[in-house]
Amino acid sequence: MTNREKYIKCFTDALEVPAEGVEKLEYQGVESWDSVGHMSLIAALEDSFDIQMDTDDIVDLSSFAKGIEILKKYGVEI
Amino acid sequence: MGAPLLEGHTAVVTGARRGIGRAVLERFCQEGACVRVLNRIEDPDFIAYCLALEEKYSVSVDQVYADFLDESALKAALKTLCAMKPAADILVNNAGIAGSTSMLAMTRMEDIRRSFEVNFFASLTVTQALARQMMRLKKGSIVFISSSAAFDGGAGIDYCAEKAAIIGASRRLAVELSRFGIRVNALAPGLTNTDMGAVTSKEDEAVAVSRALLGRRAEPSEIADGVVYLASDLSRFVTGQVLRVDGGLLK
Repeated sequence: MTNREKYIKCFTDALEVPAEGVEKLEYQGVESWDSVGHMSLIAALEDSFDIQMDTDDIVDLSSFAKGIEILKKYGVEI
Repeated sequence: MGAPLLEGHTAVVTGARRGIGRAVLERFCQEGACVRVLNRIEDPDFIAYCLALEEKYSVSVDQVYADFLDESALKAALKTLCAMKPAADILVNNAGIAGSTSMLAMTRMEDIRRSFEVNFFASLTVTQALARQMMRLKKGSIVFISSSAAFDGGAGIDYCAEKAAIIGASRRLAVELSRFGIRVNALAPGLTNTDMGAVTSKEDEAVAVSRALLGRRAEPSEIADGVVYLASDLSRFVTGQVLRVDGGLLK
């Protein structure tokens, strides 16, 4: 599985959304991406890529696209 | 006798080198918990004590160190704690300093801010990191050590305010974390026979002891018993509460 496939799977599993259109997702853009969904998404990303995210990055991860940018800080290229 | 109350649990206890934290550490080990302590000072006597606890109770006691006034050191220590397996499902926020003993008019604001940094903000930083682990587990118990001073003003201005802030924060966290199966409570000890308690002014001692129905200081083990209750499944339907272990400060 490529990093991009793993990244998409984090969103589809944690937020229970279909893969179609996932690239356009933003925080609170769908019902399941609320604060609880957000923490589930963070847990999924940390487990999938074996990282520990800083609080600032957890706060800043406001969209699918922003997440790609943030993961670069942890050496993960999507 | 039933099974140990904390068997199968892993706890983080801050400020466990002396006083109430040390008593909590020992009681947790007695009850079968594996414990990770987060202390400020590396102390050979404490290390030997931990080894003795491990042997006596067949549990593990890991030690991590950080100065709570050094945010980057604290965050590094929390990364270490969060990387340990299994994840902790109990957190006791105990670390603290005594703070000022003078009246507000004679207390520097920088001293109040420093005291708040250790007694309040650092405990939130610790909780922020460890609660995330508990969210994944969908269970956990977090105990904040507050103080009777939060209710009766029986200490310096900073200490009273910090310990009251802890109660507010613990209630809010109980609301936030209930959906993850995590309980959050505070325990408010009265004056206790610890090194910190020994620096209490006579005036504050009079408030804490002579007004207590039981008419004496607490022993650290008596406070630790309350922490065991809040940490364990004995209190599985208790969250957002303050347990006062103060000998009956009703007068």
